[in-house]
Amino acid sequence: MAVKKFTTMAYSNADEMVFGRAKSPVKAGLGLEIGAGYTTAEVNYAPRPEAGETKEKLVNEYQRITKDIMSRMVQVGFPSVVLETEHVQQMTNHPTWGAEVAHAQKTIMEEYHEEYGIKCALRHTPGDVRENKDFLQLRGDKYNVVMESFEAVADAGADLLSIESMGGKEIFDYAVLRNDVPGMLYAIGVLGSMDMEFLWQGIAKVAQQKNVTPAGDTDCAQANTAMFIAGGLLDKNLAHTLAIIARSLAGARTLSGYEAGAKGPGKDCGYENIIIKGITGMPMAFEGKTSTCAHSDVMGNLIMQCCDLWSNESVEYHAEFGGTTVQCWSESLSYDCALMNTALKSGNEKILRDLLMASDRFRDPQSYILAYDNAYKVGQAIVKDGNDIYLRSKNAATECCNLLKSAEGLEMTKFETNALNKAAAELAALTSDSEKFMSDCMEKYKAEVKVFKPENYAL
Amino acid sequence: MLIVDKEGILIRYNVKMEKSMTPEDAAAELYPKDEIYRAIAEAIFEGEEDDVIEGLEAAIAAGKEPIALIDDALMVGMKVVTELYDQGVIFLPNVMMSADAMLEGIEFCKAEAGSSPKPKGKVVVHVAEGDVHDIGKSIVAALLRANGYEVVDLGRDVPVDEVIAAVKKESPMMLTGTALMTTTMYAFKEVNDRLLEAGIKMPFQCGGGAVNQDFVSTYELGVYGEEAADAPKMADAILAGKGLAQLRAIFHKH
Repeated sequence: MAVKKFTTMAYSNADEMVFGRAKSPVKAGLGLEIGAGYTTAEVNYAPRPEAGETKEKLVNEYQRITKDIMSRMVQVGFPSVVLETEHVQQMTNHPTWGAEVAHAQKTIMEEYHEEYGIKCALRHTPGDVRENKDFLQLRGDKYNVVMESFEAVADAGADLLSIESMGGKEIFDYAVLRNDVPGMLYAIGVLGSMDMEFLWQGIAKVAQQKNVTPAGDTDCAQANTAMFIAGGLLDKNLAHTLAIIARSLAGARTLSGYEAGAKGPGKDCGYENIIIKGITGMPMAFEGKTSTCAHSDVMGNLIMQCCDLWSNESVEYHAEFGGTTVQCWSESLSYDCALMNTALKSGNEKILRDLLMASDRFRDPQSYILAYDNAYKVGQAIVKDGNDIYLRSKNAATECCNLLKSAEGLEMTKFETNALNKAAAELAALTSDSEKFMSDCMEKYKAEVKVFKPENYAL
Repeated sequence: MLIVDKEGILIRYNVKMEKSMTPEDAAAELYPKDEIYRAIAEAIFEGEEDDVIEGLEAAIAAGKEPIALIDDALMVGMKVVTELYDQGVIFLPNVMMSADAMLEGIEFCKAEAGSSPKPKGKVVVHVAEGDVHDIGKSIVAALLRANGYEVVDLGRDVPVDEVIAAVKKESPMMLTGTALMTTTMYAFKEVNDRLLEAGIKMPFQCGGGAVNQDFVSTYELGVYGEEAADAPKMADAILAGKGLAQLRAIFHKH
């Protein structure tokens, strides 16, 4: 598949961006069109651990999950739903397992669609199993297993193909624990982008052959690691200013998937998707206040501001007072979507978008930058040097720093401000020569990070 | 675009509660008085490996014993770092960088002396079988080392057999296990059962990702570690004579 870099924004200004509408909607599954004027819940789930013992148990578990969700959607009268199955490792390592699960789920969804007319689609997200015990192994046999998994689930009924790719993580894990911003840039912006470009050309090719949608990726492995280490306001593990620099870098990195053939909707845990939506105009999934079952964040309302799919990230399947977990969370998500869809239908979408955004805008440096107006500016910084993965990443991080430094109404601790100033100075001191940056980093991290294997990136 | 004043909507408690003292000021109050030791402790705090070695060379030239320097200077400097981390004055990356500098210093002292010091205790750390997410384990290992414990790091995706064999070989005071996924954390139960079968009763600290207190409470040796920073605290509690029931009483916070 050809790679086409983004050098302009899809939207002429930030205010054009709203939830439920994308410049390039995606038709998928059974009557669904994502980003075409309405929002849809995307329900995520994890099987109970004991269900992974055999293929039969696992398939049975996913059948229960699927039936539970579809029946609750119909019982409460919601018009559409997306189900996302993030593979447990057995399902990717044994492509027939993933295929049988996808087939079982899609069969149930087809029955509901046929009987009730509910619009629905199935996303499958194979695990990025391209690693062995000690090292990432991004190319070769493991890559082939991942591609076989995509082929199998697409054949069996998955409508949307996604992955949470891991490229750059070996350097990132080292850099983030040492406040090493150039290292984070190298990991996310350069190595992550290179791997995504390689990987997504393969996924897009499979999707084209199977006539399904190559949906999108997320920088879960890196930017979410930073977000989780940063934690809440009182946690002392990472400055939140550094976490949002990592997220801005992820904007430049995750874009690579869409340049290599992905068409959206982007993966829910990619909080960088607001930047991606501004650049590509493709529909995006987000998670926030209704993913507290999986993790906490500091922007639960704000991140809903421009979603096309609204997700709960993941919840283990078990019973709650209100039904099974997937029933409870799918209902909560869908009520949120009903509210957004009412706003869209009544012409009040920008008011609701702004209320969501304003309620969290000053909660944290992370929410401040991911507010749609600031995220749009980070997007502009990326496309300015869109053809150069190093420069555009550097631009994204630099713009993030500039926006925070000039922020009005955002209070930051001295620690956050000091970390920000140090990061900004380090970024300003970086070369504008991509090749020099690459060779300097290669030398440094080959010496410092034992598990770094340049051949993973064809370097 | 709608911008609303945050008053009454949110409070940045971290800003409200931030201590007025800078990390450097706070550290200055804790450094040793002896100038030779102080220079090494300061270099540890700053995470400057070259300065640590330079300080150690100067100390040895001044007649200090290399092995004694580990306790008298390196660990003293590291204690400044861990104390300020516990107080919320400095953040984790500072601890990691200081730990790197301290470890380099220890290796230098060992090479100079041709012998090794006696650690506070030995801890075996691992990531559950089937799980390759190891950043949590790396933090646990660094914090344990920073607090003077010897760490035997088995790495990630460690088969149960390998964990049991390592425990038998190393006889640690504590075993830790981390896992990101609910699907892999069940290996901890197997480790627990195999340890009991072998007649080994020792604290098995488990944490990370989807691991929770309810799950860890279901097997006899399990003690839940909610934060990586709980690992050295738990090791200290074991050294102080706390048994499994007491460890659970202290560290099971929910």
